[in-house]
Amino acid sequence: MSDYYLFHDSAKCIGCMSCEVHCKENKRLPPGPRLCRIETIGPKWVGNIPKVDFVFMPCYHCDRPWCVAACPTGAMQKRTGDGIVFVDHNLCVGCKACMRACPWGAPQWDPEKGKAVKCDYCLDRVDQGLEPACVAKCVTKCLHFGKPEEVVDARRMRHARAMAAMATEVTLRQPVNGPKAKPMKPKRKQAQDPVEGS
Amino acid sequence: MSKPTCLVFQTYNRLAELIDSGVLTHPRVKRRAEDLLDLLKDVCTGSSGPNHLQAILKSVATILIEEPEAFSGEIKRIVGEPLESHQEVFVSHIETHNCPTGDCDFLTPAPCQMACPAGIDVASYVGLIGEGRYAEAVEIIRRDNPFPWVCGLVCTHPCEFVCVRGRIDSPIAIMNLKAFAAERAVSERTYKNPPKAEDLGFKVAVVGAGPAGLTAAYYLALKGYRVTVIEALAQAGGMMMVGIPRYRLPREVIDREVAFIEELGVTFRFNTRLGRDTTIDQLRSEGFQAFFLSLGAHAAMDLGIKGEKDFPQVIDAISFLRHVSKGERHIPGKTAAVIGGGNVAIDAARSLIRLGCEDVLLLYRRTRSEMPANEEEVKQAEEEGVRLSFLTIPVEVLGADGKVTGLRCLRARLAEPDEKGRRRPVPVEGSDYVIELDAVISAIGQRIDPEGLDSVTDLHWTKWGTLIADTITSATSAEDIFSGGDLVTGPATVVEAIGAGKRAVEGIDRYLRGLPQPKMPPVPSRRMRAALSEVPAQTKMALRRPEMPFLGPERRRITFQQVELGYDEATARQEAKRCLRCDICKRCGKCVKICREQMGIDALQFGHVDFGTPGLTDFRITAERCILCGACAANCPTRAMTLEDREGERVLSLCGTVLCREKLETCHRCGAVVGPARYLEYVKKRTSAVQEAFAGSLLCEKCIRQLTAQSKSGITIP
Ligand SMILES: Cc1cc2nc3c(=O)[nH]c(=O)nc-3n(C[C@H](O)[C@H](O)[C@H](O)COP(=O)(O)OP(=O)(O)OC[C@H]3O[C@@H](n4cnc5c(N)ncnc54)[C@H](O)[C@@H]3O)c2cc1C
Ligand code: SF4
Ligand code: SF4
Ligand code: SF4
Ligand code: SF4
Repeated sequence: MSDYYLFHDSAKCIGCMSCEVHCKENKRLPPGPRLCRIETIGPKWVGNIPKVDFVFMPCYHCDRPWCVAACPTGAMQKRTGDGIVFVDHNLCVGCKACMRACPWGAPQWDPEKGKAVKCDYCLDRVDQGLEPACVAKCVTKCLHFGKPEEVVDARRMRHARAMAAMATEVTLRQPVNGPKAKPMKPKRKQAQDPVEGS
Repeated sequence: MSKPTCLVFQTYNRLAELIDSGVLTHPRVKRRAEDLLDLLKDVCTGSSGPNHLQAILKSVATILIEEPEAFSGEIKRIVGEPLESHQEVFVSHIETHNCPTGDCDFLTPAPCQMACPAGIDVASYVGLIGEGRYAEAVEIIRRDNPFPWVCGLVCTHPCEFVCVRGRIDSPIAIMNLKAFAAERAVSERTYKNPPKAEDLGFKVAVVGAGPAGLTAAYYLALKGYRVTVIEALAQAGGMMMVGIPRYRLPREVIDREVAFIEELGVTFRFNTRLGRDTTIDQLRSEGFQAFFLSLGAHAAMDLGIKGEKDFPQVIDAISFLRHVSKGERHIPGKTAAVIGGGNVAIDAARSLIRLGCEDVLLLYRRTRSEMPANEEEVKQAEEEGVRLSFLTIPVEVLGADGKVTGLRCLRARLAEPDEKGRRRPVPVEGSDYVIELDAVISAIGQRIDPEGLDSVTDLHWTKWGTLIADTITSATSAEDIFSGGDLVTGPATVVEAIGAGKRAVEGIDRYLRGLPQPKMPPVPSRRMRAALSEVPAQTKMALRRPEMPFLGPERRRITFQQVELGYDEATARQEAKRCLRCDICKRCGKCVKICREQMGIDALQFGHVDFGTPGLTDFRITAERCILCGACAANCPTRAMTLEDREGERVLSLCGTVLCREKLETCHRCGAVVGPARYLEYVKKRTSAVQEAFAGSLLCEKCIRQLTAQSKSGITIP
């Protein structure tokens, strides 16, 4: 995990994709890579009301990042000091190992540069005391960036179980480095133990 | 030592930096600068067309006129100034798609093309032959050389000396492939002239119908000039016709290719010698406005020994071969010696054998390893019965009653190498001996016979008796006279004469149109980016240069029948597929370096690329080690290395050579491609210390993301 925490209040999110647009604009990315994403869930009938949910998916800047372990060139790094995970483009050779390794599909491919790109919380902006581009331009102000409150391991655990439950064929073994964003809607199905579920 | 930088590439980079720096704050200026950058990029990547220069000039002018000084000043400095001072470099990039500095990745020419004096786009035509497209191959060759068939049989093929495949095993049979394609195209009647430009009305006279003159006539005619060729002999071809013996170059081959030049409307005045039957002034009064002199080097050097001039059986090789080719088939004597160690000496000796000489002896002052003649031909001469005698210096021709009876010779030894590394033969005192023989053929060199040009004033000559002409424009000191070929270079080769003829056409064209002459020597044009033939790595390595089949020596001794029998189609196509396509892969070594040093995999063993990878090239090793990550392909500046997913496989190829192919695994949820097993295994291994993320099913990134999102959402979709 990094020292920072990017929180998305999905209840307020209207799915306008401003965050994605500004992220790309700020990073001057060509068509293709999307460093943060609004995943649209639904519509799904809950009773007789159709519901749509928007989930904001950036990089989670894991404690022990898979991408960093996978990267053979040392391009993918975790910044000492604040723990932001970023790619050094001078070192990246475009082997895509990070993309394959990340359990959340966070690293993306820049077809123009032939290198991996990923959410680095806009570390250049952060260093200037600014918020990441996505947060700064969020229309409904549902994105928040800052130092985290206590790390809630249980929450990550919950996510993991839930995820395993969604796709029964997926076995998620102790995702100790899981994402930190909090599921906003508390009404969730009873999660099953991944081991039993498979 | 820094290598020269390409001005176009530098201009492109500087403009890109300017745009990136954000100095161009005005959106319209920025857009205009970006449009200009796009145009420059086209020039650097070979996608520029004939209108690009105009478009660039216009674009710069618009910015300079319409935009505020603060911005336009920078653009003027970065783009305007180099464009003004060195426009020819931009023009050359646009016209030739060739960047000799190698800075523009896509425009780096293959070494074979750079080595060819006519600048033929070898890699492209070899590629076309590999695909069975012979007529197109001939068409590509003829853009730079109107004699593909002739050159396919007698060219000295300097291209093959630099061929990169030679670093792996042996060079591509570039010359033989050319002959094959030309022969095929002629035989299938697909050998065609390109369309001719509109008549320009100017009359140009070419003097001398050798390869230089005929080439000039061909390209001049294509440009729309009215060309007349003045030739002293009764037929066209020059030394190709009256020097090179027909067992190496059948007359029909020359006739057929000359006929294509005639077909363009070029007229010939045979049996017309300049200086005797006509003069330049006379031709000027006939309305000829420019002249190309290509009289060749037809005079022989004298031996300078006693008795040389006293007997009719002492003949110089040039006259001897000319007589033979004109139909005089008498032996000068039963036993003959040829003096000299070059190709002409070998041609004379082999002709003597064919005419029926019983004993032919070749005398050379140095040893076999110093012989300038082509090794293969020396070998063939020996097979046919020519005896070689080295370290032999003739000193006197002996004879009686007006007939040669013998040759007095000295033995020699080689002195220590001089500063040029050449070892002079030194006669050994008192080693005199006499060889009994009936005829002596001297083949120790040719020189220019200035006779026909005596009447032309204003011409300047070198101290070696060659005519002085500009190396870029071919212009001589007389304004309307251009020259090239052996007359300017001294005795050289067919392909050099062809190159000279082609260059001169540019000079003549500009002179007649009143255009300024270029200041830089022309660079060869890359004619196309021919498709790459797919060849498995195994095959690419296993293929060997095919032996040229020859007529047996027993037949060669008695006829002038062509010695080389030529490749058959399957052989030619296979040989073409051995080519490494150095027009695409510029051998920068980035791929090798990345795979070895950054990825730590070392799956690419390309000893033939230039960057300090000594050792062998073996394309087969890749399949054993490669994980198909594609980092090499992602970093290849020329798209020579490609990673492709097709028909359920991931395939890594270098210029069509398939280095590695593996079945692709797919996402168990949506079926999207995830990657080959060995790649997944590689990533899994590296991350296993962290924590295995997913075991069991294989999911693609998209599904992973969606499932995560779903799990984070309040709504769940079963
Ligand atoms: C025996 C021999 C073998 C060779 N073998 C090879 C080989 O295998 N490969 C290779 O690449 N090169 C070879 N060469 C060299 C090659 O033939 C020459 O370099 C080439 O032909 C030169 O071309 P050119 O057009 O400059 O002159 P030439 O081919 O010499 O043509 C000059 C023409 O001008 C004509 N001419 C001369 N004076 C006058 C005048 N006053 N008026 C009108 N016409 C005139 C001549 O009749 C001749 O037709 C060989 C040369 C010789 C002699
Ligand atoms: S979420 Fe993915 S990309 Fe981000 S740090 Fe973790 S493994 Fe790396
Ligand atoms: S694509 Fe770049 S950052 Fe990702 S693993 Fe490969 S070298 Fe590292
Ligand atoms: S391998 Fe092919 S492209 Fe390369 S130098 Fe040889 S003939 Fe030319
Ligand atoms: S294939 Fe390798 S050596 Fe050839 S151009 Fe590409 S990176 Fe350079």
